Amino acid sequence: MFQNTKCKCGHQNPTGTVLCEACGRTLGEEFSDAASELLEMRYDGAARRSQKSNPSIIDRVWNFFSSVKVAVYLIIITLVGASLGTIYPQESSFITTQNLANYYRDTYGTSGEIYYALGLSHTFESWWFVLLLVMIGTSLVICSLDRVLPLYRALNRQQILKHESFLLRQRASYSGTVEGDLTEWIDRFQVQAKKRHYKVIRKDNAFLAEKNRFSRWGPYINHIGLILFLLAVLGRAVPAWEMDEYVTIPEGDTVRVEGTNYFLKNEKFTVEYYEDDELPKELRGTIRAKLYRTDAVMYECSANCSSSETAKLQEVERHPIEVNSPLEYKGLKVYQFDFDNTPVLREVKPIIEDKATGKTYGPFTLAMRNPETSYEVGPYKLELRQNFMEFGIGEDGQPITKSRDPKAPAFIFMLSGPGLAEGGEPYIYFPMQKDKVAFSQDDLNAGLADRFEIRVQGMENVNFVEYTTFLNIRKDLAMPFVWVGLGISMLGLVMGAYWHHRRIWLRVDGNRITIGAHTNKNWYGMRADLAAALKAAGNEVDPKSLDNGGNRT
Amino acid sequence: MNWLDLSSSAFIAAFFLYCFGFLFYVMAIAGRKWSHGDPVRHERKWGRIAFTVSALGLAAQLTFFFTRWIGQGHIPVSNMYEFMTFLGMAVMIAFVVIILIYRKPILGMVTLPLVIIIISYASVFPQEVQPLIPALNSYWLKIHVTTAALGEAFLAVGFAAGLLHLLRTVDFSSNTASAKKERFWLEATLFMLLVACGFIVSVFGFRMAGYEAEFKQETVDVTGAGQAVSETETVIYSLPPIVQPFNSTVIQADAFLGVDKPLAEAPSWMKGINAGRKLNTVVWSLLTGAVLYGLLRLIFRKRLSAVIHPLTTDIDPDDLDEISYRAIAIGFPIFTLGALIFAMIWAQIAWSRFWGWDPKEVWALITWLFYSAYLHLRLSRGWHGKRSSWLTVIGFVIIMFTLIGVNLVIAGLHSYAGTK
Repeated sequence: MFQNTKCKCGHQNPTGTVLCEACGRTLGEEFSDAASELLEMRYDGAARRSQKSNPSIIDRVWNFFSSVKVAVYLIIITLVGASLGTIYPQESSFITTQNLANYYRDTYGTSGEIYYALGLSHTFESWWFVLLLVMIGTSLVICSLDRVLPLYRALNRQQILKHESFLLRQRASYSGTVEGDLTEWIDRFQVQAKKRHYKVIRKDNAFLAEKNRFSRWGPYINHIGLILFLLAVLGRAVPAWEMDEYVTIPEGDTVRVEGTNYFLKNEKFTVEYYEDDELPKELRGTIRAKLYRTDAVMYECSANCSSSETAKLQEVERHPIEVNSPLEYKGLKVYQFDFDNTPVLREVKPIIEDKATGKTYGPFTLAMRNPETSYEVGPYKLELRQNFMEFGIGEDGQPITKSRDPKAPAFIFMLSGPGLAEGGEPYIYFPMQKDKVAFSQDDLNAGLADRFEIRVQGMENVNFVEYTTFLNIRKDLAMPFVWVGLGISMLGLVMGAYWHHRRIWLRVDGNRITIGAHTNKNWYGMRADLAAALKAAGNEVDPKSLDNGGNRT
Repeated sequence: MNWLDLSSSAFIAAFFLYCFGFLFYVMAIAGRKWSHGDPVRHERKWGRIAFTVSALGLAAQLTFFFTRWIGQGHIPVSNMYEFMTFLGMAVMIAFVVIILIYRKPILGMVTLPLVIIIISYASVFPQEVQPLIPALNSYWLKIHVTTAALGEAFLAVGFAAGLLHLLRTVDFSSNTASAKKERFWLEATLFMLLVACGFIVSVFGFRMAGYEAEFKQETVDVTGAGQAVSETETVIYSLPPIVQPFNSTVIQADAFLGVDKPLAEAPSWMKGINAGRKLNTVVWSLLTGAVLYGLLRLIFRKRLSAVIHPLTTDIDPDDLDEISYRAIAIGFPIFTLGALIFAMIWAQIAWSRFWGWDPKEVWALITWLFYSAYLHLRLSRGWHGKRSSWLTVIGFVIIMFTLIGVNLVIAGLHSYAGTK
């Protein structure tokens, strides 16, 4: 559609301009027809980039994302999508060894099955949700750019003298005659405006009083912050930027953090529960945790880092890790994640018995983790051939270890010495009584079991770890950007919400003054300011009478 | 007298002061019509009295809050009772701020009942002092919860003004379809507030009567490894069972109106802790709410919205629209700071990730997205006035769901804030 953008005052405006950049007249409509309508003051009536004539494809994409309507739709769709993600727990929120489809069906019935089939069980990682977030990000960039530049230009080169129609069609306006000296009247008006922190520009008998223009930039600063935040969140997908490791450390042990040169030691783990007298009546007798703490030490390794036995360690940090208090070192944070109080075998001190003579030799110290490769016990020699942390029989009938934790340790020694075959005889040893029975140690050792036995005498020769702590080690280089983004966004919100851009225009025709006032929100305050200035100048009015109405739909 | 006793007394004082504050606000507004003097002076005088009494109520509640803090040694926002009372207090603070700016007593007529409902609702939950669990033992508890609640409080005042705007502007004479629809939904909104009252009335009524019913419920759970494990649990009702838990048998039930058997059973898909009891409570709330509504209709012989509407005609609807918008514009940044930014900071410290799509987090985000949609919609002229007021009503429903519904319906990391 062809639009005449040249104003009656002679100013040539860009296509899409609503209000003449110079005098404020409405463009594109007959002045007399709409005289009573309020003006649309968004972006000061300036043309936006998206209002080009003859748009190209790029322009069309730009126009799509520059629309606030589209932005609102995107927000609403995201909101509804996110709410769907809270109907049943997300996949990431629980641990199961079961097939997920079965899990949802068995736990939540048919609706759970549908939920899983629709992919809602991972709503927040699904392509459409991520796409929505990316589209919101795009909309943030384009909406802001489309508006902030024209608005900046419009506010930066405001004309002081506005057309009468512009003033009378503001939501707050006043028109009246002045008794006495006109210049003095305006002086009084101006003094009051200055008292209320307005900046006044006066040109002949027209003037513009303005304050808090910066608050107009609030929404855009908020958007910049949000964009930075979203970029930082996307940046976390860069592997080198993020680390998320878990370590399991029995009390007293030192464990390497996978993929780093750091080692962590759990010096002591403490769990405390509330005593009955600390609890209200209803909760007595229940277990209510008071404190979980790992007294942790972090070491940096400089050489031989493959095992904690041989590594050359240098202490770098020491911190009692509690739930709300992680250990921090060079961007690495170590969090208390969980604990386990199943006792874990650390070492045993068994003896060797020669059943023929009844004589015992030893004890010797056998550590579950990193045992020695050979032991000399009296006249006997034990060569460690193989050891298992959690003994089990594999599918092919061969012994295997099911995990790396000493849950069911087993050792195969080559036993040699007096009364044994030349070159030794193999002997399998289960330090835990339950395993010894379960895996029938005596049968496995066949004939040897009748002549020799390796066993522990008394509990004082068994060393258990009572607590095992689970720590979560995280590195997230994007975090500073996340916080800065949120900080900027918050700054913008505060600027935009708690300050209000207010402008008062005044023009004089003979002994009649015409005043229009505009603000982007809080008209109540705007009218109060205007009424106060009018009163000081000599024309007292009720603030409410300045209202031209506006919200009525 | 120790701190905690003082605290409980202060709470009761606050409750009654709020009730009187509400009555005086009604006097200020309704009395304009029947007082013989100048209506403007009448409103100003009674408005001032109502404000003073309400402010005294707030002072009493602040006393309650700080004495409880001293008495228990940590800030009282760590369980549902403490949080909801805090929310009620925050709404009062927001109300005082807004009324000092706009000086419209009519706002008190809607906000005070809201506060009274919120703190009565709080009293349904166990009120004993409970020691903190390790996850909550952080100064971020103070910062995050209080800021988030204050933000929500301003949004709630935005709702109160929006509701008033609707009561003022909805057309009660026209017979067009849209006017009928508006009347229906406005009445439905008031009905829902009565259902909230119904909940409180039924819980306290039966609690005072000492009602109890006991069930044995058999539940079948599937473990992470895929095995079905069945467990029997005892479920205790403090309201007469209209709906019994799924797959349960009555052990003992006091008779109510001669009935000592449940009328129906909860459907099997209602899982979760105490699903049957919650459903029963919802049914009772709806019933009691309906009875309350019926009684009020009988007294007034008019729609409730039509009863309140004439009281609102002296105020300019644009002012109400502006108050509502302003309250939300004030509350939105506070909400963002408290419910999202501080929440992320705390989550980063306590759980090692600033965001984990936990249901409570998601619903805080949904609230935020909703109000940002509201703010953007206000950029276009068609969404001022009535439409924008309807949005504040929906927004309030979302806030209440985030605060209460998520804890009761969806379990997550924040479930420790739930009821017992």
